[in-house]
Amino acid sequence: MVSKSHRHTATLAVARRLLEGIGTAWAAVTFAFFALRFASGDPVASLLSQGLASPEQAEEIRISLGLNAPLWLQYLRFLANLLQGDLGTSLYTHRSVSQIILEQFPSTAALAVSGLILALIFGFTLGITAAWLRKRTSGMIAAAIAALATSIPVAFTGILSLLIVGRLQQGHVTSNDLFIRLFLPALVLGFASSGPIARVIHSGLSESLRSPFILAARARGIHRGSRLLGHALRPSLAPVISLIALEAAFLFSGTVVTETVFSRPGLGRLLVKSILDGDYPITLGLVALAAILYTISHVVADLLTLMIDPRLRRAE
Amino acid sequence: MKTYKNKTLLLFLILTVSTLASACQPSSDAESTLHYGLTLAPSGIDPHLNASAELGIPLNSVYDTLVFLDPESGEFVPGLAERWEISSDGLRYTFYLRKDVRFHDGTPFNAQAVQENIDYILNPDNHSQKAATMLGPLNQTEILDEHTIVFVLDEPFAPLLDSLSQVYLGMASPTALDQWGASEYQFHQVGTGPYRFIEYIPNDHITLELNPDYAWGPSIYDNTKASVERIVFNFYEDAASRALALERREADILGEIPPHEADRLASSADFSLSPVAIPGQPLQFFFNTTTSPTDDLRVRQALLLAVDKKSVVLTVFGSHSPVSNSPLSQAGYEWISELPPSAHNPEGARKLLEEAGWILESQEPYRKRDNETLVIKLIAPPWGSNSEVAQLLKAGWENIGIDVELTIAPGFGTLKEVQSSGDYHAIGINFFGTDPDLLRSFYASDGFYNWTGFSDPEIDRMLNEAARASLAPDRRVELYNQIVRAIIDNALVLPIRDYVNLVVVHQGIEGLKFSAQGWFPNLIDIQLPSP
Amino acid sequence: MRIHWLKILCVLWLATMVLMAIIAPIITSVDPYKPIGSPLQSPQDHPPLGTDALGRDFFARVTYGARLSLSIPLLATLLTVFVGTSVSLTAIVVGGLADRFILALTNAALAIPGLLLAMLLVAGLGPGIPTVVIAVGLGGIPGFVRLSRSIFLGIKEMGYIDAAYALGASRTRVALAHLLPNAAPQLFSLATTHFAWAFMGTTTLTFLGLSGDPSVPEWGAMLNSGRMHLVQAPWLTIIPGILISLTILTIHYLGENYADR
Repeated sequence: MVSKSHRHTATLAVARRLLEGIGTAWAAVTFAFFALRFASGDPVASLLSQGLASPEQAEEIRISLGLNAPLWLQYLRFLANLLQGDLGTSLYTHRSVSQIILEQFPSTAALAVSGLILALIFGFTLGITAAWLRKRTSGMIAAAIAALATSIPVAFTGILSLLIVGRLQQGHVTSNDLFIRLFLPALVLGFASSGPIARVIHSGLSESLRSPFILAARARGIHRGSRLLGHALRPSLAPVISLIALEAAFLFSGTVVTETVFSRPGLGRLLVKSILDGDYPITLGLVALAAILYTISHVVADLLTLMIDPRLRRAE
Repeated sequence: MKTYKNKTLLLFLILTVSTLASACQPSSDAESTLHYGLTLAPSGIDPHLNASAELGIPLNSVYDTLVFLDPESGEFVPGLAERWEISSDGLRYTFYLRKDVRFHDGTPFNAQAVQENIDYILNPDNHSQKAATMLGPLNQTEILDEHTIVFVLDEPFAPLLDSLSQVYLGMASPTALDQWGASEYQFHQVGTGPYRFIEYIPNDHITLELNPDYAWGPSIYDNTKASVERIVFNFYEDAASRALALERREADILGEIPPHEADRLASSADFSLSPVAIPGQPLQFFFNTTTSPTDDLRVRQALLLAVDKKSVVLTVFGSHSPVSNSPLSQAGYEWISELPPSAHNPEGARKLLEEAGWILESQEPYRKRDNETLVIKLIAPPWGSNSEVAQLLKAGWENIGIDVELTIAPGFGTLKEVQSSGDYHAIGINFFGTDPDLLRSFYASDGFYNWTGFSDPEIDRMLNEAARASLAPDRRVELYNQIVRAIIDNALVLPIRDYVNLVVVHQGIEGLKFSAQGWFPNLIDIQLPSP
Repeated sequence: MRIHWLKILCVLWLATMVLMAIIAPIITSVDPYKPIGSPLQSPQDHPPLGTDALGRDFFARVTYGARLSLSIPLLATLLTVFVGTSVSLTAIVVGGLADRFILALTNAALAIPGLLLAMLLVAGLGPGIPTVVIAVGLGGIPGFVRLSRSIFLGIKEMGYIDAAYALGASRTRVALAHLLPNAAPQLFSLATTHFAWAFMGTTTLTFLGLSGDPSVPEWGAMLNSGRMHLVQAPWLTIIPGILISLTILTIHYLGENYADR
């Protein structure tokens, strides 16, 4: 039974995290706005130099983007529009940026979510094997694979997987589109992000396996029951959850390369394209989105950690 | 605690299973579906507003144009216009339209529809990137009766019919244009062509279905009706992924296959290779004539002589591309009289550089003049095989004692930025087109793409006269021959090879032919193997 | 004991790579920039590693490739470590509002993935090797500030810094004579791990074609250009891929196991 005062402190803790999250998101979006304005100069210049707008049209676009106003006013307008979900319009296609992002979002979300699930499956398997069977060959192999996962560039695993699948499929005319289009890239992305998860679980589990209470349990004969594993794993769950929040951000940049190698549509390629074309509203919209997603995943991770480990709640 | 964990596990399980399930869904492909691979994902696909050549691959068959250019005879043939007349001053083009044509949405095609298309293109709020310029000095359109319309020009404009034969000036349903407006119409396109537009998901796919009512095809089509029911276009922007997509049978037809891969595929019985020559400019590099050292004709000539074009083309493009010596391709411009073949003569190049004062001291890697090192800044675009060619140019030029600084611009924006800064000596860009007026924006003093910075009143005069000579095709031929000669004599450009699109097709697919512009397939003529 | 053995192997690998970069002209007399024969020759036809797509000696390119592949992330890491350490040291020594401001700024910057930040910089500065160094170097700063700050914080909380202040030491003196030397081993370990990150980041940017001149041999760019001939000449991709992966793996391993000697 949870007492009333306990529940009260819990609510307070949650509220505090949420407020902090909003603060971070605001700071991150602000940083993105100013960093982008200083890094890319006049957003309309590239349009003008490509002949896609006459000087008069360019001036018109400047006005419609509000670029003639002082920077602080532009910033306030950007924030106000952002709150309403309005990210402006693309310089090249004059379409709503929110709509362009929404179109590409499902593809990236499918890739990122499948990638994350596979990362968790690989990460847990490798981490637990490495710690539990630490003195056996299989444990060492698991540790080595986990180390490799952090070290091989996504570009390289992607290319290798295409080469291998290409070789296997030669002669067999199959058009299993989705296997190539979703599962394979997700596998590549998941493998790359499983390394850090495996490492955290490996070290956390190794430590708790050495703790007196586990040693005692083992001595009592519960040698390698799943119950024991469950108990020993629990302390590593909180760091794993914070890590997943970080991974969510990694997935965003990981998709840039994965989508390129596998010719998949999505936000990663939209981003590269917008940066190279100088389509400033799209870049800014995506960077703001990345910052907000990052903050949300951190807040959610914090809250989950609070739920899992009541000690942290009391520490508030 | 325990139930919590079980629930999480369950959640993971459900997500995994659903992911796998969606991955195993059988594809709902009917027998008569063709998968056609595109190689660039344009930022927009409204042909009236966007400039990409890629959009024409599907849309060339969604729209009909007033006239068509016959790739075999080089003559214009009737399309939506049954016939046309040009006034003797070249200022009025009268088009007599077909009366039996309906758009895919049922709207009848008439003079009003033509006028609304032109108004849509010329409306400055719609920001047309290409079609509006293609209309040149068009002043207005006049409707004479329901099926007769006049294009009134401010001055004669010889390329007008060529413009009107291209998909960028294809006729769209005025009802749909009104309904959707400039930014959304691209998702709901309605034309009169042999294929209907079904859907467009950016960066993912475009779907077309055959138009059963099509009965007004031009003489350049072999078939009167399409036979493939459904065509799905997917994007393969990454050149390395294309051959693999064909081998996996993800795509039935794919263009822009890297040359070595095309040879490999062609050697298999499963594929056939059709190299399609694209009319326009060859892959080329312009020399900046406004800055030292390339302001010196001798230096430019030396740069030309130092390049072993034959071996460059053979290395990068295999046996599929003709070596180019001209600012215009052979395909589509057969009337350009024979030009002297380009020589590879490093000794001659060294001599020219010495005459220009660039001396190579022993023990020094690079030539110098008054303590200034001979540096060439070479800028290349990332697409096609520009990057590979540029690397070989660099090797050839270093060979005669030039310090070459090579930069591959990651996109058109960066390329144009470097160009506007003027900080380059040689820069690569090439455009495609079936009318030689294309040269004007590159070589006229005030041309938008005058990246050589060269200014010559005689060239300007000839370019302008040729652009206005609508009714004197022989005079045009004469003028453009002189212009081409002047460009070569001044060593303004280093042409490398004529553009050839290597299209690989699965065995059994028949009838693949391309329009005069080279890029666009006549989808109506494609036939799938009978099952 | 086994671990010791692995460490020696890692050090040996890195030493080989560094040596390869330094004495490249001694290892091979072939010019890595010049085409010497027909393209895409197999290792059997043109030992030891065949030719690349432009007919250049691939062994020479791989060997010379070690130079840029190692020095770009090294220079970027030096930039990150120098700026990052200065910032976090200042934050800790000055403390108060300055520290909180720097922490808030760092957290905000961390919300934008470092790679994304680097790509934005490349777009702003134009492609080229110096740009990649600056972009990877600056892109890594927020993460480095956060981690190095907590190292300094840990040392500050051990009593003797307060003792130094009590003895009348100036802030600068405390920073340079006490905090920095005490943090050095941990900072070194952090910098090593960061070097692995910088290596990965560099590879990604050059793989995406942002290094400017592809004729200059560099492993990430080779990974990209080799991909075009994956089926015909897989070694053009696999060899640079393995070199990159093994180098990152050894750096990671050494960085992580540096602390628990």
